[in-house]
Amino acid sequence: MNSVPTVLLIGVHAAVIPVIAGMWYYATPKFWEVGYMPTQPSTGFNHQIHAGKLGMDCRYCHTNVEDSWHANVPPVQTCFGCHEEGKLGPTATATTEKVQFIRDAYATDTPIPWRNIHVVPDYATFPHNAHVNAGVSCYTCHGAINNMPVVAQAESLSMGWCLDCHRNPEKNLVPKDKVTDLYWVQNEWFGKDASERVHEGMTPEALKDTLLRDPPDNCSACHF
Amino acid sequence: MSAIQPDESLARRMHGLQPGEQPVARSTPLIPGTSDDGTLSEDTGKRAPCVLGDRSFEDVTNIVCGYAEAKMPKPWLAALTITSSIAALGTGMILYLIITGVGVWGLNNQVDWAWDITNFVFWIGIGHAGTLISAILCLLKQNWRTAVNRSAEAMTIFAVVCAGIFPGIHVGRVWFAWFLAPIPNSNGIWPNFRSPLLWDVFAVSTYATVSLLFWYMGMIPDVATLRDRAYMRLTKGVSRPMAIPMPIGNDIIVPQLPKPDQIRVLIYGIMSLGWRFSSRHWHRYEKAYLILAGISTPLVLSVHSIVSFDFATSIIPGWHTTIFPPYFVAGAVFGGFAMVLWLMIPLRLILPNFSDLLTKRHLENMAKILLLTGTMVGFAYGMEFFIAWYSGNEFEFSVFANNRVNPAKAPYWWAYWTMIFCNVATPQLFWFRKMRQNPLVIWIVASFVTVGMWFERFVIIVTSIHRAFLPGEWHMFFPTWVDILTFVGSCGIFMTLFLLFLKFLPVFALAELKVVMPQSHTHDDH
Repeated sequence: MNSVPTVLLIGVHAAVIPVIAGMWYYATPKFWEVGYMPTQPSTGFNHQIHAGKLGMDCRYCHTNVEDSWHANVPPVQTCFGCHEEGKLGPTATATTEKVQFIRDAYATDTPIPWRNIHVVPDYATFPHNAHVNAGVSCYTCHGAINNMPVVAQAESLSMGWCLDCHRNPEKNLVPKDKVTDLYWVQNEWFGKDASERVHEGMTPEALKDTLLRDPPDNCSACHF
Repeated sequence: MSAIQPDESLARRMHGLQPGEQPVARSTPLIPGTSDDGTLSEDTGKRAPCVLGDRSFEDVTNIVCGYAEAKMPKPWLAALTITSSIAALGTGMILYLIITGVGVWGLNNQVDWAWDITNFVFWIGIGHAGTLISAILCLLKQNWRTAVNRSAEAMTIFAVVCAGIFPGIHVGRVWFAWFLAPIPNSNGIWPNFRSPLLWDVFAVSTYATVSLLFWYMGMIPDVATLRDRAYMRLTKGVSRPMAIPMPIGNDIIVPQLPKPDQIRVLIYGIMSLGWRFSSRHWHRYEKAYLILAGISTPLVLSVHSIVSFDFATSIIPGWHTTIFPPYFVAGAVFGGFAMVLWLMIPLRLILPNFSDLLTKRHLENMAKILLLTGTMVGFAYGMEFFIAWYSGNEFEFSVFANNRVNPAKAPYWWAYWTMIFCNVATPQLFWFRKMRQNPLVIWIVASFVTVGMWFERFVIIVTSIHRAFLPGEWHMFFPTWVDILTFVGSCGIFMTLFLLFLKFLPVFALAELKVVMPQSHTHDDH
């Protein structure tokens, strides 16, 4: 019995298939990017308390998200606006130790080096305002921020992930007045079947019709 | 191709074969006082012999396997030393390019394709001779092809290897070259299926795959011969595992250190895929060979047609012409045969035993093909120019007149006229029998043609794009030292691979050679 061709055939497949499968699973932004959760300076910033429990609007701190290509992280003055000693009154639960680094930073006029989590590469341009104003909820790209004590990356931010939405935007659009209302978006909008989503007469299809233009999917839409 | 008669005397006497035993090359030509080896007779009633020197089947086997089993002659070693140094230089240049970026080449905003694509088209064109010889000449039952088909196919593979380097490295960020392949990816995009550059990827990779399969499949019986000869020598006891007797218990068996024959048995054994010379094996082999020849035949035409689409489907004057596909195919066969001749003639000197198998008739036949295809290429040059004038398209005519032909206006006029001289003028020598029967003349013409075919691609690419419609878009191309050494290095890679092929693989198709020998036609007299 001539076993050489059989052995070669099985051997080559046994060597090549794991490599392909490994590349397919591991060599993706989905594997390497999702779940990125760096340790923030000092005691960090708890989104679960601020955006979730206290119900603060995202735009109280991230003031430029509707106006600028760049979604800003607030300066220390924004934090200090509430966390100045004695300002929140006796009912405030934040202990002095937890917020002391804010007061120190304010006193010495030094910025707090918050660590960036959601990074789009230099060769891709991402206008944040265009997306928020079109009705893409914070939730779609950043996940349930209002439930995160420490923020982690929720989506892969790969080019395929961008194009997935650009090609079928209606599945991710929400009514514009609800863009930052994360509880509502999760439960009342995305919690329902797409055919049942209605808010003040607006359906996903109707929302798509309100867009100034269809989301572009040519190269130079982002790479220029 | 017909049934192979088992060579009994060969099978019997293989047991007695010692490594290094080689037949001696005949030093005197068959016809005294001439340089004719007896194959150049013009007697039309007699077929020129394909194998000289009254060789037996066994002799032919010994000749072909001899170099793989014994030490190579000194000129081979000298040639390998030189070419492998050049290959190392080329590899260094490629690494330098990858590490530094394509800025080390002389490309600029106007001339954004230059030596890289010139070299690509040059090498891919050279590969065409192998497929033509192995596929089309096989289907046309041209017996003389048996002496050159294996080495021409090998040359094809190595030329495609060199061709593949250049598009791969010219993209700049080599690690993204996989974007060329239609692989589902996390970018959510596919290559542009409307672009001839993508068709080119498919054409060249199909061509490389089919050529490799054809070459390898044809080699299996001959590799099995090498395996069996090595195995016979081993079982004769030349190198047997050693047993050390132990006072208690079993003896310890010490396998001997790997000798060349043991390595040969292992590697040739795997490569020959269990070939046992059975009739059933031969039957399937011949069927598969014909099928592959059938698949390869359209590839001879398609590959270079699609390479020409890279240019012809663009709207650049000088590229946008319908004559490009046939013109490129003729040029590719022309350049390929020039390279076959350029390699075969020194091969007869470096490995003299092969000169009985590779006769002057073979060289003359290929010189005739060179004359034919060279004239076709010359016709294409003329027709291209004629259409540029006859079409009334002043932009296209300007590319020819002002960018290529006219020494007063075209800075690259010398490249155009070098091309014309090398490709159109020099092969005309082969109208004379004395010229096409003289290996030295053939070799010199083949060198000219190889240079000319490189210049043809340079002329097409650079002279067309170095001047766009506005004078502000006029720019010259000057190669840098990296450009030059990368091309020289690719020649080194090509020749190193070819020299290694001469040493380690069967250079002739044994079964096919034996079929064209007189012993296979014992009933010719009635």
